Amino acid sequence: MTGYRLPAGGRIDRHRTINFRFDGRDYQGFAGDTLASAMAGAGIVLVGRSFKYHRPRGLLGIGSEECNALVSINRGAARVTPNVRSTQVWLYPGLNAISQNRWPSLRWDVVALNDVFAPLFPAGFYNKTFMWPRSAWEKLYEPVIRRLAGLGESPVERDPDHYDATYAHCEVLVVGGGRAGIDAALAAAQSGGRVILIDEGDELGGGALADPAQWPVLMALKQELYSCSNVMVLTRTTAFGFYHQNFIGATQQLTDYLEPAVSQGAREKLWRIRAGEVVLAQGAIERPLVFNGNDVPGVMLASAARSLALRFGVAVGRQVVVMAAHDSGWHDALAMAAAGVTIAAIIDVRHVVSGDLAEAARAMGIAVHTGAAITRVAGRHAVKGVTFASDGTGPSRRIACDTVLMAGGWTPSVHLWSHAKGSLVWSDAWGAYLPGTALENTRAVGACAGEWDFGAGVVTAVLPNALPVRSQTAFVDFQNDVKARDIHLAVQEGFRSIEHIKRYTTNGMATDQGKTSNLNGLQIASEALGRPVSDIGLTTFRPPYTPQTFGALLGHHKGALFQPVRKSVIDDWANLQGAVFENVGNWRRARYFPQGGEDMHSAVLRECTAVRERVGVFDASTLGKIEVVGPDAAEFLNRMYTNPWKGLAPGRCRYGLLLREDGFIIDDGVSARLADDRFHLTTTTGGAARVLNMMEDYLQTEWPDLDVWLTSTTEQWAVIALQGPRARDVIAPLVEGIDLSPAAFPHMAVREGTIAGVPTRLFRVSFTGELGFEINVPADQGRKVWDAVLRSGGAHGISPYGTEAMHVLRAEKGFIIVGQDTDGTMTPYDMGLDWAVGKKKPDFVGKRSLARPDMSAPGRKQFIGLLTERPQDLLEEGAQVVLDPTAPVPVPMIGHVTSAYHSVALGRTIALAVIADGRARIGEMVFIPMPDTVIRATVTAPVFHDPEGSRLNA
Amino acid sequence: MLEIAPLAKSGADLAVGTKPHIGAIIGRPVTLSPAAPHSRWSLRARDPALLGSALGRALPDRIGTVLDGIARLGPDEWYALLEAGTALPVLTGLPVSVVDVSARALGFTVSGEGARLALERGCPLDLARLAPGSATRTVFETVEIQVWPTAPDAFHIEVWRSFAPWLWHALAEAIV
Repeated sequence: MTGYRLPAGGRIDRHRTINFRFDGRDYQGFAGDTLASAMAGAGIVLVGRSFKYHRPRGLLGIGSEECNALVSINRGAARVTPNVRSTQVWLYPGLNAISQNRWPSLRWDVVALNDVFAPLFPAGFYNKTFMWPRSAWEKLYEPVIRRLAGLGESPVERDPDHYDATYAHCEVLVVGGGRAGIDAALAAAQSGGRVILIDEGDELGGGALADPAQWPVLMALKQELYSCSNVMVLTRTTAFGFYHQNFIGATQQLTDYLEPAVSQGAREKLWRIRAGEVVLAQGAIERPLVFNGNDVPGVMLASAARSLALRFGVAVGRQVVVMAAHDSGWHDALAMAAAGVTIAAIIDVRHVVSGDLAEAARAMGIAVHTGAAITRVAGRHAVKGVTFASDGTGPSRRIACDTVLMAGGWTPSVHLWSHAKGSLVWSDAWGAYLPGTALENTRAVGACAGEWDFGAGVVTAVLPNALPVRSQTAFVDFQNDVKARDIHLAVQEGFRSIEHIKRYTTNGMATDQGKTSNLNGLQIASEALGRPVSDIGLTTFRPPYTPQTFGALLGHHKGALFQPVRKSVIDDWANLQGAVFENVGNWRRARYFPQGGEDMHSAVLRECTAVRERVGVFDASTLGKIEVVGPDAAEFLNRMYTNPWKGLAPGRCRYGLLLREDGFIIDDGVSARLADDRFHLTTTTGGAARVLNMMEDYLQTEWPDLDVWLTSTTEQWAVIALQGPRARDVIAPLVEGIDLSPAAFPHMAVREGTIAGVPTRLFRVSFTGELGFEINVPADQGRKVWDAVLRSGGAHGISPYGTEAMHVLRAEKGFIIVGQDTDGTMTPYDMGLDWAVGKKKPDFVGKRSLARPDMSAPGRKQFIGLLTERPQDLLEEGAQVVLDPTAPVPVPMIGHVTSAYHSVALGRTIALAVIADGRARIGEMVFIPMPDTVIRATVTAPVFHDPEGSRLNA
Repeated sequence: MLEIAPLAKSGADLAVGTKPHIGAIIGRPVTLSPAAPHSRWSLRARDPALLGSALGRALPDRIGTVLDGIARLGPDEWYALLEAGTALPVLTGLPVSVVDVSARALGFTVSGEGARLALERGCPLDLARLAPGSATRTVFETVEIQVWPTAPDAFHIEVWRSFAPWLWHALAEAIV
């Protein structure tokens, strides 16, 4: 127990104590505390275990750079948030925090054995050690390593929270609410445009909050800011990504800082902000120093300790030693001493330090040791003292202390600048990269631009020590447990680029993205390689700046709103009938209509029987529909589809086959010519958007000269398919203005008239092999016509059927379903559809590819039927077909089953398949090996029912 | 194990409201209502003058503006949102395309002081710059919509029929 609350000072409200819990024990903090400051004030030093070696760790920083003090916050079983930086958790009554990555307890952690054997676990250890056997990765190595080297645990219950999201627009967006950001926002507000200021803290002020001298000015500036009607200030909001054209993603905390009992509404809000100009005022992060023992709990950043003392009224320890390479450490030490913190000594690696600083320190009774470095830190769970020596190698001296503060200089935060692809320029003075030229209308101000006076300092790699680096416990990346020796090892093993060194050592690859480790890693690599830092490169910062919840990214897309479920106008009716549904694209379609406890098998057999013997009605509304209009409509379709379209007479329909440029089938459908310059196209349900995009693409880029336009009419028309020998009888009493006689209205024709008083485009088409009509009516009238058809069909034994019966009926006829029987590598010839290819046409999409020798080479898979030897064996869709099941493994596979059903028309099962040289194998026996048996089947033509098509023309 | 709701069940019960949904967003009143039926037409042509004279109607000149119920959505595309029952001549033999899409979409009205906030939740456009008399095609999250500002605090929204239940509820969710 070393930290304690100072008797006065800070921005906390000492009249409002707040009880909180850490690892099951109760503590107290004050309103205005973060969890980190409250824990420090309560004397808690050990806050977590490291990722790989399970080393005990204490607080390092004070903001989003914190890499050690990650905790799980428990707001109920379903609301456990792991891996939260305690420095960014605002205290509320009853806050329940739990340490991570330890078992059974934070103090006694079994896996800390990893640390004892740390010399055996150098960088690259896992990659090198767990190479083989390969199978052990999945079952043994990976799960075990994952358990040992994890962060917090995710909740296993459904997240009960909801998340809000919005877009916002402004002329100027300022990221960062420190002095520089506030100034920028006020200046922008003068010009009258909309200004948004984002800050991740709970109050504006940034670094100034740790400097009481600035508080009066800060308050005045804030008042001015809040009085501007054109400025929106978002606190507790993290700008996590900077995307193209000044588009910023930010997450605002709405309830996490409140007691669960009083939190209402959305938990977080995703802000998607488009800004005319972005001003980045992200500030800078203090750099740790790399020295032996720098990760013992109680070793932390000087700026963090200063903030604890002056903002939160917490002394980090009773005996504090400062290890500095930069003036800012001295400034912090002096400010803390003035606030009542005992600074035992300031050690500075520099031989010469500004006389004013040294004098001021001595005047406050602080021992000063210049030209010296800490060589060892005593203590495991907490600092007990330090050993230091002149230049690291001289005679050693020891100081007893409970806290060591590191002041290694400052790293401007260029994260968002880098997301936006702004260039970076190395600065020797800062020992860091600074923003160079912006790609967007963006500028950096304040410390993140290098425009801040933190004083002078030197840039160091590893502090001097008589011990070789490989014998030191000198950490660079605290969160990923990367030591200076790991970077030396990477260099020794031949890595030269920082990108490779990073991946080999994992330096900077933890959830903090190297906020405190990247620059130190670079310096160490530079020194080890003997080349300037700017030669080694810089790793890329990527969004998010800090880890974000999935909930915030999902926004409204949750539960029923996860994704639109598209329903036809007949869906309500199907639902009332107790239909079982399936998803096709994002449509839901009725799959079958069970009656009185029927299973799918019996329902589908019954529905198929109705269609073959009487009449069935089917909701085909989801079919894609495109109206193609213009003088060049026929010419356009002629170029898109494989078959000829120009000769099609108005009033007639044609099956169209659409290929991609590579010659493979992408879609098909029946289309009608309504007039010389007007076609009604249909596409597959799932392919509608794809086909329209493809056609629009060709129209705009290849043939902009054609006078033809495409209009999606999928949702304009409800489509009622009526199929079966009595189909004509059902609609006859309803239809006006159309002669339904076979002679006047043959198969593959279209007529316009009315049905049940509603204007219709009536198609005579069939996807079942029976006499059939597809009734197109405006969608808002669809249900009315559907009801009329059902009423009229009552006398004819009409039955609704679903997509499953539709699949069976078409399979009996060998009609393909693109995407089920084809897989994106099938040509018209493969599918036996060469009759649909216009051989004499000068061109169509895919024609040139079809001429490639491989596209007609022997051995290609061809579409055929399969009849199993035992008539009731149902093949499994996707099952592989072989010629010799006794062949040694791997058995050569010649194709696979694409469709398989019980056929009521045949009284047995049928299957469709694509197999190599299939048509030449008709009559041959093939084998379909299953886990427990081998099924024998005969290859047949893919048409099982009424091959002459006599029923169609009834 | 979490039970994963299949897609067909998750959003299947949503339906477009038949009555206005009245509430507020961040304290500002908003009303979401189903709009009256309309006659809708997709109009395409390379030559606006030809289309206008063939239809016997004046067409808006600037993309994104509305004239007498017709919006210009793109260089060769207009969208007519007319009183229900209004028919346009179906032209043949001309290099134009006139397609009746009356039943393709449904209309909503979002009005009130918070109307813009309600739409901004899912629409990436800067709606503050969209004045009455303009109209544009855009999206609300993943769903294509058209936004027609009709007054400073009122918008007419066009959405394809099958996406309408989702959109209704996505908008209504925030109007409490």
